[in-house]
Amino acid sequence: MPDEKIRSIDKATLKLLEKAEKEKIGTVFSRADEIKPCPIGVEESCCKVCAMGPCRLPRSKKGEAKERVGVCGATIETIVARNFARKVAAGAASHSDHAREVVHTFIKTARGEAQGFAIKDEMKLLAVALDFGIAIEGREIKDIAMELGEKALKEFGKQDGELVYIGKAPLKRQELWKRLGVTPRGIDREVVEIMHRTHMGVDQDYKHLLLHAARTALADGWGGSMISTDLQDIMFGTPVPVLGSINLGVLKEDHVNVVVHGHEPLLPELLVVASRDPEVRKMTEDAGAKGINLAGMCCSANEVLMRHGIPCAGNFLQQELALITGAVELMTVDVQCEMQGLKNVAECFHTRLITTSDRAMIEGATHVEFHPEHGLDTAKKILKMAIENYPNRRHAVYIPDESRDMVAGFSHETINYLLGGLFRASYRPLNDNIMNGRIRGVAGVVGCNNVRTPHDSAHIAMIKELIRNDVLVLTTGCAAMACGKEGLLTPEAAKLYAGSGLAEVCEAVGIPPVLHLGSCVDNSRILMAATAMVKEGGLGDDLSDLPAAGAAPEWMSEKAIAIGQYFVASGVFTVFGTTWPTSGSEKVTRHLFEEYEELYKGMWAYEPDPVEAAQLMIRHIDKKRRALGIDKARDRVLFDMAMRRALD
Amino acid sequence: MSDYKYEEKEDFAGRKVKVLGPTYEEGKPEDRGDWRSKLGSREDALRYIRTAMRYWYSKEWYGSEKRKQEA
Ligand code: SF4
Repeated sequence: MPDEKIRSIDKATLKLLEKAEKEKIGTVFSRADEIKPCPIGVEESCCKVCAMGPCRLPRSKKGEAKERVGVCGATIETIVARNFARKVAAGAASHSDHAREVVHTFIKTARGEAQGFAIKDEMKLLAVALDFGIAIEGREIKDIAMELGEKALKEFGKQDGELVYIGKAPLKRQELWKRLGVTPRGIDREVVEIMHRTHMGVDQDYKHLLLHAARTALADGWGGSMISTDLQDIMFGTPVPVLGSINLGVLKEDHVNVVVHGHEPLLPELLVVASRDPEVRKMTEDAGAKGINLAGMCCSANEVLMRHGIPCAGNFLQQELALITGAVELMTVDVQCEMQGLKNVAECFHTRLITTSDRAMIEGATHVEFHPEHGLDTAKKILKMAIENYPNRRHAVYIPDESRDMVAGFSHETINYLLGGLFRASYRPLNDNIMNGRIRGVAGVVGCNNVRTPHDSAHIAMIKELIRNDVLVLTTGCAAMACGKEGLLTPEAAKLYAGSGLAEVCEAVGIPPVLHLGSCVDNSRILMAATAMVKEGGLGDDLSDLPAAGAAPEWMSEKAIAIGQYFVASGVFTVFGTTWPTSGSEKVTRHLFEEYEELYKGMWAYEPDPVEAAQLMIRHIDKKRRALGIDKARDRVLFDMAMRRALD
Repeated sequence: MSDYKYEEKEDFAGRKVKVLGPTYEEGKPEDRGDWRSKLGSREDALRYIRTAMRYWYSKEWYGSEKRKQEA
């Protein structure tokens, strides 16, 4: 491993990378050394949507302003915008197809056909039923759930009108979307339309293409992702604060280690139930292990962590490293962010790699398909495979001792409750503390890891800079896990890292300065928390008025682009790091970075230096504070009884 | 929601009034902070939805969005 390159700021990751190198096991890190990003692809100056191409149109190195068009005459603006829109479509499709699977399972659960599943959160069911205009008076829970499931499913195939959840956005935002013609009609419809418009010879006006990219992204954030979050909450419980632990040190040498990796929480929920089954426990003892140790990876980890406190083994770039410990009997993968490289690493050890979704297989892995009708049986079968594999460990086990405690589970409902209690639940205390300047603003820092940026480094540098400047951070996905490993998700972190104003509020409410809101689809919770702040009053009447910003400093997936695009189209200034996928066209980039502010009152930015990116966010927050007239921090004068009487 | 304590205090004019006491629980939580389990019945849950989550579920609540015409 070359010394000059820092690969991660996480010690456990570095230790296992050293082991991988010694044992000559290839990982994403070593492969990245061998493959450099294509210089034309990195700026998206390449079109391959028809067989007259591919047409490669790199920018002139000498800066000559020559016209760059493909064989068909497509301009570089059209090509770059098409590539960007297709990324949005793929990201929106991923979150939404996850949601579709959740809805199908939800309907089966309501019918009593999903083994091991139940409607756990009746309050959330009632609330979401009201969103969908479903009568709840005097009706059985399962009837309400049935109707909700059917109505939610229709959101995917709707052709006209607008998605139900659009009605939850601030009124002014809804009006802006209507005016621009970007209110999403149906989830699938918008994705299909992007694929059509970006086909050879269809939509060839970059601004027009990017309008539809916004519409499709909104169908994700205020559609697929939100449906997924809400229905998962109803089936598995809305997250409440829970203590958990994170990093590769959560694996246990004397236990059967099962790592659940991927995104859909359906099977992982049942693995939790199955691991407590007496027959499974007995088998574990007979195999000579002290128990089953379930651990999560990526967003599956966030889901089971938030609801059960199941430990989290790590984030995206640690997936292969978990297997290199030699301690993992079995890893399940469902959909999204699972590297095919896992198969080769698993083969170096005794680990069984199990694919579980009918939509995702990996050549050479064992496929055990999950269907909710016999979900619990499948979960038990998988655990038994893991137990049977325990005696097959053929390498010395090496588990780094790094692991940290953290608090997760801050759904927007829980934040509301924590700020005021059962009788006075409200976002008012948060708004008040923003107005009086103790809290400068709010930032959503989300997204992946990317091997082209030292693992976790950008998340942590950015978030520390934000909280030091009194910005409360809401986080999800791999960013949230990076924070957990760094100790930022505990209330004590406020004293250590936060500015005095933010620290004071965190101490009073008993929350960390960085709140873990869940997985990638749970970015919809950030939209809801921000909407509640707008509706509470005092901070303007649109999401774009809030002193708030978003970021994904280590993004890598198309899902992140979809998320960024729906944040921006919702009025949020959003900064991405690592690389930027429209740099091939100055016009397209200017449109997204500058002209979008006119259109959506939110815009994109790109800044690879995480501290500078945090400063951009802070400058934007300060601009919004000035516009609201709250730029000068004011301490509230607390009147005592004598002062009040003197007023009369 | 019936296990709340009330305290007697003086109001600004010095009159004795009954007010809601602290709603937080003392000590360090050992379990997950499951506040939702405190809302036992459907009526409690609906009341909570309409008050705490008034932003979306109460007609009387407008916050910063009070306006004559709906969007
Ligand atoms: S659509 Fe046009 S630019 Fe794209 S590959 Fe075909 S000819 Fe080239």
